[in-house]
Amino acid sequence: MTLDLIKGNIAIAQAAFDAGCNSYFAYPITPQSEIGEYLGAIMPKANRVYVCAESEIASINMCIGSAATGGTPMTSSSSCAISLMQEGLSYACAQELPIVVASVMRAGPGLGNIYPSQADYNQAVKGGGNGDYNIIVLAPGNVQECIDYTHRAFYLAKKYRNPVFILSDGLIGQMMEPAEFTKYPYEDIDNSDWILSGAKGREPRIIRSLSETGEMHHERVKKLFQKYKTIEENEVLYKEYFTDDADIIVVSFGSLSRNVKGAVKKCREQGIKVGAFRPVTLYPFPSKKLYELSKTAKKFIVAEMNMGQMINDVKVAVKGADVDFIGRSAGDWLDIDEIVDCVKESAGGIYANI
Amino acid sequence: MEKNIIIAGFGGQGVLLCGKILAKIFMLNNKKVTWYPCYGSEMRGGAVNCEIVVSDEEVTSVHKKQTDILLTLNEISFKKLSPNVKKDGIIIANSSMIKNTSLNKAIRLIKAPISDMALSLGNIKTTNIIALGVLSKLFDNIDFSGISNIIKDLFPKEKSMLANLNIEAFMLGCKFKPEAI
Repeated sequence: MTLDLIKGNIAIAQAAFDAGCNSYFAYPITPQSEIGEYLGAIMPKANRVYVCAESEIASINMCIGSAATGGTPMTSSSSCAISLMQEGLSYACAQELPIVVASVMRAGPGLGNIYPSQADYNQAVKGGGNGDYNIIVLAPGNVQECIDYTHRAFYLAKKYRNPVFILSDGLIGQMMEPAEFTKYPYEDIDNSDWILSGAKGREPRIIRSLSETGEMHHERVKKLFQKYKTIEENEVLYKEYFTDDADIIVVSFGSLSRNVKGAVKKCREQGIKVGAFRPVTLYPFPSKKLYELSKTAKKFIVAEMNMGQMINDVKVAVKGADVDFIGRSAGDWLDIDEIVDCVKESAGGIYANI
Repeated sequence: MEKNIIIAGFGGQGVLLCGKILAKIFMLNNKKVTWYPCYGSEMRGGAVNCEIVVSDEEVTSVHKKQTDILLTLNEISFKKLSPNVKKDGIIIANSSMIKNTSLNKAIRLIKAPISDMALSLGNIKTTNIIALGVLSKLFDNIDFSGISNIIKDLFPKEKSMLANLNIEAFMLGCKFKPEAI
């Protein structure tokens, strides 16, 4: 293994390049601008497409054009600018186009603040576009995962012909950590039977989101949801930490899960049986596993750097089990000690001596 | 055990690079390490800092409320960041630029005239690397011998003179003997 000190944003950029991304369209925004800066330097040299678009609306639509014609596109952006892409994402889902979007969260709502936050969970997982659709969302928790899950994002996008989000945040984006640029580990996926590649010698193909009748539209959406069912059955990823005998399980995603792990260690030293659970795929959400854990754990605490978004998915998953929340919208990341205090408070009802 | 080190100074003094080199040294010593910069409207002349967390296991929190070791190259960052240093922590202050080193608690304070040392080498831009040399003395179990190659990689071949100057700067920092406390 040859480790190098790599910045989270650069990890995503180089991993996208290694995954075969051949067209990148984006408009700069803090805290993800290094992705474009890096790809701007290497894409043209490799005869691949790099466009600094005039807006985020343009960049997502350029991705649609690239994907429809057989390209492997990516765009990257943050929070308020991801908002501008919602229409395009809804269209890309309807048209079943493989597009990878790296979303590096900053604080919102509105222009908010450039500092890290996790307040775009709902934006990524629930979406802001119209209609019935789902986007696969992968949330890395360290720099190596930025590489591994970027590879996976390209694979899943092509495998399911669906947009995939890499949901990072300003903290992972800006930090450096030893990691390794591994080779893209997935097989190539043949797209020759659906892309718009010129109709010489064959029937023309049409890729559009418009359905001519209500019935036809219902059939289209039904087919989409069959696909989502397959995704939900096969692509769930999560990480567990001391959950086996845990009375309390702290659920968190992305970079905050590091602090949660630290808090679990500290609590365990004090004899409190705590574990940590981290959904890696935010869609498909690991609901089944959480439900399973709810049969042995007495309580769940959801920790997020937002005012409570993933907590709703956790509540649905654990079907009536006790769920507490700790979080704030931005600023200093929830400190290990704050999480420990919250766990202790929750533990008060379980252990008599705390 | 996780330990965090904050390196702070004016934008342009090279504190981010100083932190990156330190993080790389930890990596070469098979430690787990993270480097996290303050980012935003910071610019040349403004206050900049970066935080390095080093551990034998995967680093948990990369940005901590309290600091184990603080290296400050200017007065603003000394004033701003020294209150967060733990009581058993250590502060290295660039005494060439920090005149007021009063602290509200008894913390081990190492005063080193780092900017003056850089001027004695003939290049003020070596301040960050001299500082790293001074800082390196706090880590008994870390092998800093990889630093020559790290510094050489920072410069193109035609500027190898600058690489050598920076290696010399690091050695100068290492030789610094703080007054007995």
